Amino acid sequence: MIQIHGLNFTYPGGTFQLQIPSFRVQQGEKLAVIGPSGSGKTTLLNLVSGIVTAEPGEINVAETTVSALSDAERRDFRIRNIGFVFQDFELLDYLNVLDNILHPYRISRALRQDSGVRERAALLAAQMGIGDKLKRRTDALSQGEKQRVAICRALLPGPRLLLADEATGNLDPRNKGRILDLLFEAVDAHGATLLAVTHDHELLPRFDRVVDFAGFQQTAAA
Amino acid sequence: MRNLLQITLLLLTILFAPATVAADKLKVYAVNYPLAYFAERIAGGQAEVVFPAPPDIDPAFWMPDAVTVTAYQGADLILINGAGYAKWISRVSLPRLRMVDTSRLFADSYIRVAQTTSHSHGPGGDHSHSGTAFTTWLDPRQAVQQAEAITAALTRKRPAAKQQFESNLESLKSDLLALDERLARGTTSAADRPMVASHPIYQYLARRYGLNLRSVMWEPDEVPSETRWAELAQLLKEHPAKWMLWEAEPASESVERLRSIGVESIVFDPSGNRPVAGDFLSVMLKNAASLEDVYR
Amino acid sequence: MIDSIYIAWRYVSYNWVRSLTLVACVTLIAVLPLSLELLLDESERQLLSRAETTPLVVGAKGSSLDLVMNSLYFGETLPELISMADAEGVTESGLAQSLPLYVRFKARGAPVVGATLDYFDFRGLHIAQGRNLALLGECVLGARAAEKLGLKSGDHLLSSPESLFDLAGVYPLKMQVVGILEPAHSADDLAVFVDLKTAWVIQGLVHGHTDLTSVTDPTLVMDRSQGNVTATAKLPQYAQITPENIDSFHFHGDPADYPITAVIALPYDDKFSAILRGRFVAGEQPLQIQVPGEVIEGLLANIFRIKSVLDAVILVVGLSTVLALVLVFALSLRLRQREIQTIFKLGCSRLAIARFLGAEIAIILAASALLTLLLLGVVEHYDEQLVRTLFIR
Repeated sequence: MIQIHGLNFTYPGGTFQLQIPSFRVQQGEKLAVIGPSGSGKTTLLNLVSGIVTAEPGEINVAETTVSALSDAERRDFRIRNIGFVFQDFELLDYLNVLDNILHPYRISRALRQDSGVRERAALLAAQMGIGDKLKRRTDALSQGEKQRVAICRALLPGPRLLLADEATGNLDPRNKGRILDLLFEAVDAHGATLLAVTHDHELLPRFDRVVDFAGFQQTAAA
Repeated sequence: MRNLLQITLLLLTILFAPATVAADKLKVYAVNYPLAYFAERIAGGQAEVVFPAPPDIDPAFWMPDAVTVTAYQGADLILINGAGYAKWISRVSLPRLRMVDTSRLFADSYIRVAQTTSHSHGPGGDHSHSGTAFTTWLDPRQAVQQAEAITAALTRKRPAAKQQFESNLESLKSDLLALDERLARGTTSAADRPMVASHPIYQYLARRYGLNLRSVMWEPDEVPSETRWAELAQLLKEHPAKWMLWEAEPASESVERLRSIGVESIVFDPSGNRPVAGDFLSVMLKNAASLEDVYR
Repeated sequence: MIDSIYIAWRYVSYNWVRSLTLVACVTLIAVLPLSLELLLDESERQLLSRAETTPLVVGAKGSSLDLVMNSLYFGETLPELISMADAEGVTESGLAQSLPLYVRFKARGAPVVGATLDYFDFRGLHIAQGRNLALLGECVLGARAAEKLGLKSGDHLLSSPESLFDLAGVYPLKMQVVGILEPAHSADDLAVFVDLKTAWVIQGLVHGHTDLTSVTDPTLVMDRSQGNVTATAKLPQYAQITPENIDSFHFHGDPADYPITAVIALPYDDKFSAILRGRFVAGEQPLQIQVPGEVIEGLLANIFRIKSVLDAVILVVGLSTVLALVLVFALSLRLRQREIQTIFKLGCSRLAIARFLGAEIAIILAASALLTLLLLGVVEHYDEQLVRTLFIR
């Protein structure tokens, strides 16, 4: 699903440097990435999703060479193939639950909003246990409910790769487990791949594989 | 300034509109019969002259109803007598610009009558209801001036018919002047002979021919009360009249009793309303003939 | 595009306080100059059209503006009075026709315009319902006056006393409404028209009462001397003119001395107009003759001078409002930085973000435009009245 070769990334004008000689994730794999802060975990996600690009280096995601795409192509690729679950959910307070889930379809022309989308959204929400809260405002939801909305939003376009950035970071332990279950179930149900950045070490055993990023990061000498 | 011209044109159109739209005839309304007669004579076929007062009424003391007033309002010309004749004019709304005061030109020779009571109340202060004598047409030379005023007004309304109006006026004028001459001739021999009139309406006639005339307030169709007779007797002491002038045929009882005290009766009809027979001129000629009897 | 508008609409309605404030600001800054423009246009139309169709006005020397305002728009300031003789004087000059006016009294707030029937011809006023004035004591109402007072022909209208303590004891006259005029979209619509003589009845100059010589009640008569009866104020005067008492109404004194406020003079042509004006300039009489068009143009020039100052003020206020709006949008962009980051990560282009913002501005502006149109519609609907209350008093 993901192949990275000979990658060398530096933020423009920054001192941070990330070198990944080789990195692979299999189709359907649930991979956890750990490492100290500043080790480049988030940067990895940005690189994989094409938010930032690295030179030199080649990044293949879902049979697409992301590093060779133009800016616009990378955006369209991202919205079609990659689902994001953010640490603080990043739901929009001015939209209700359903509108939040449908949001990717409204902000990009790469996704076509046909008649089935709303039904799928409702179905997805029902599966996630928030089917009765579609018209609610998001600030009236509990943390757990918010997380489910965020997962629904990430899953609706049917992504092949799910990127989770500290997706369980702000949850109590009980919720963490349940959310992770939901995430895993959804990944399995959709035949997707999960790449999760986390520092919750007690959750690690549940992942297929864990990669410690401490080894990749190198701080360039000034 | 171009606007001014437009407005004037507009106004003229408004004022003349009934005339031009109703095609041929001007609509002329008069407040008494003499004016209607003059207007008929002068206008010939150019106007429809209307004098709408009922025949049994003295138009000087008439009050037309709203419908009649509206009819007057629709006229192209409204001929009024002036000199305070027909008080109703001051109690209704008429278009001032279409009104013709036929006696206005000799307004300074109106005869003032000042025997009525004055009274005061309200903000107006002291005032009296005295007025002017208003049977102006009984002086034929004044009647001519009134006829001239009518001619001028008609000519203003229909300049094209000026010639016609003026020749008609000439004919009327010669009739009126002939009447004047006849009245003058008939009264000249003994003009200062004392006379009594049943009502104070002959002021202009008396002035024109120098008649020595005093008035009472007798109604031709009623026999006067004893008080009235006593007043007359009192009057006759200082004003030994042998004739009484009536505006209409008096009751025979009155005639008899007058005769018994040596006063004969004659009729001098001012012709304020339309006569049953004849016209203004024939009535006046008959009046002249009656006077000739008195002054023979 | 629909999606952008939907999202923008959601944002706008979620932040409704902010949105309403913005709409109010934009509307205010748009409505102010536009309605001012509208009102000035209307006032110009009302004032000028009427002034231009009134060739000359004769009145007592004094403020020419008061004279024209009173004679043309029935303004409340009463000019010095002149007399009927002055109207006759204009007619007798042979240079112009005259329309005497007596605009002095009020009836339930509406101006009572004493005029002759010729006035209706002159202004092209037509009766819509009922009939024209015929008898003393009748009145005809302008279309709006009838609407405002809620009267139709056959009803009665009481004239108002001139002051609360009318010492002369003039009784209000109960006038009969005999007709309603068609709307003329001028000051005539708001007026109560009576015959000049009826106006004098209101003043108490022409009145009717029982024949004093036949009065027997001793409390009614103060003094009965030789040929003169002085009545006490208790003498009942008719407060309504009816067919029964109309014959008792009479003029006191010479009608030529009766008061009027102005004469509209209609010269037969331009030359006569010039001659007539020359006479008044040269004349010793305490009268003035005015061309209403010139007087009103003078007034309008003043109004427009004030307007240009107002325009400048509005421009400055408008500019600062626009700056404030730019600031508001810039701040909101900053507030939404996180949201923008998120949707960018999801795969939204920066152009789309601009589209949302554009849609949001468009919604605010559209709402403001709608509200502005609505308000302007209201202003336009009432402009005749507004102009009257603002410029013609």
